[in-house]
Amino acid sequence: MWVLLRLIIGSIFLVSGLEKLLSPYQNFLYAIQAYQVLPSPIEVLVAQIFPWIELIMGAFIFIGLWTPWVLRGALICFGIFVVMLGQALIRSLPLDNCGCFGDLIHLKPQMEIVLDSASLLLTFLLLRNIPRVQKFSLDSYFG
Amino acid sequence: MNKQRLTFLIVLVLVGLIGGAKFFLGARHQELDPKQVRSKGNSQARVKVVEFIDFQCPACANGVKILGTYLDKYPHDIYLQVKYFPLTNVHRHAMVSALYSECAARQGKFWALNDMMMPQQSQWAQLISAEPVFKSMALQAGMDIRKLEGCLASDDARRVINDEKSLGQSLGISSTPTYFINNKMVVGTKSLEEELKTYFP
Repeated sequence: MWVLLRLIIGSIFLVSGLEKLLSPYQNFLYAIQAYQVLPSPIEVLVAQIFPWIELIMGAFIFIGLWTPWVLRGALICFGIFVVMLGQALIRSLPLDNCGCFGDLIHLKPQMEIVLDSASLLLTFLLLRNIPRVQKFSLDSYFG
Repeated sequence: MNKQRLTFLIVLVLVGLIGGAKFFLGARHQELDPKQVRSKGNSQARVKVVEFIDFQCPACANGVKILGTYLDKYPHDIYLQVKYFPLTNVHRHAMVSALYSECAARQGKFWALNDMMMPQQSQWAQLISAEPVFKSMALQAGMDIRKLEGCLASDDARRVINDEKSLGQSLGISSTPTYFINNKMVVGTKSLEEELKTYFP
């Protein structure tokens, strides 16, 4: 079960990163701008770099390489997502779609904050059970 | 192979695969169509803008205002062409507003209708049916109503709209407004203003 949960978390980041990378970065930039948090140059940087972070982190979680480290990275990411969505909802910003999965899935921010909070909790639990999570992983192969 | 080398290899493979896929997909740009009637400004202008629009999209209405301001201020320096990208799964009147616009274009009244449709968007967007409002606008714009009705009943206008939406999708467009400013893709009005400021500081 712990391995399955690791694969799910890894898949979330893999799919999310892949979708954003295969689409023009301007689409993700537009989604970031809607949150009205970052200055413009940082928004552009995040739009171009963050999908790569998602992709690589997702791949590493999926195959179980450097698992404790990438799970900590995932925890930070989910924490950031919850904060960003939370502030957007509090400020009643006009977000039609959270932009989380690019064009693949359109999720309302209210739904997405629930899912991200659940994922945050799940990732925390995975971090507390590393030996079980690392079954059938490259980490266990390298010892 | 040790763990560090494998890590490096995996990152290299991922970057190579995705980088290769992006290169294969190629840079997206949209050329101007010299025959297109939904155009405004100086066709020889140094700043050429192709806009993919959904007439019920609030950000598009804002974009129309922004571009209108620039066109008024720099009439010889901007050329604008409009293409359809109705978000029919999100906006109830996306297709019908595009149909009326295309039928207006066939009578040379695209901009006359657009100048009424966009400022009043927040009103007609709330309606169950916006057609009576669009018909009234068409009359005010001086359109031939019989020709309009013929156009609306035919499949041709819908085909043009769907073809342009497919073109937009092939260029990677998923939201509106999306602009190609001298072939550079720009999404949303914040990026539109920032890009226009680079040409008109």
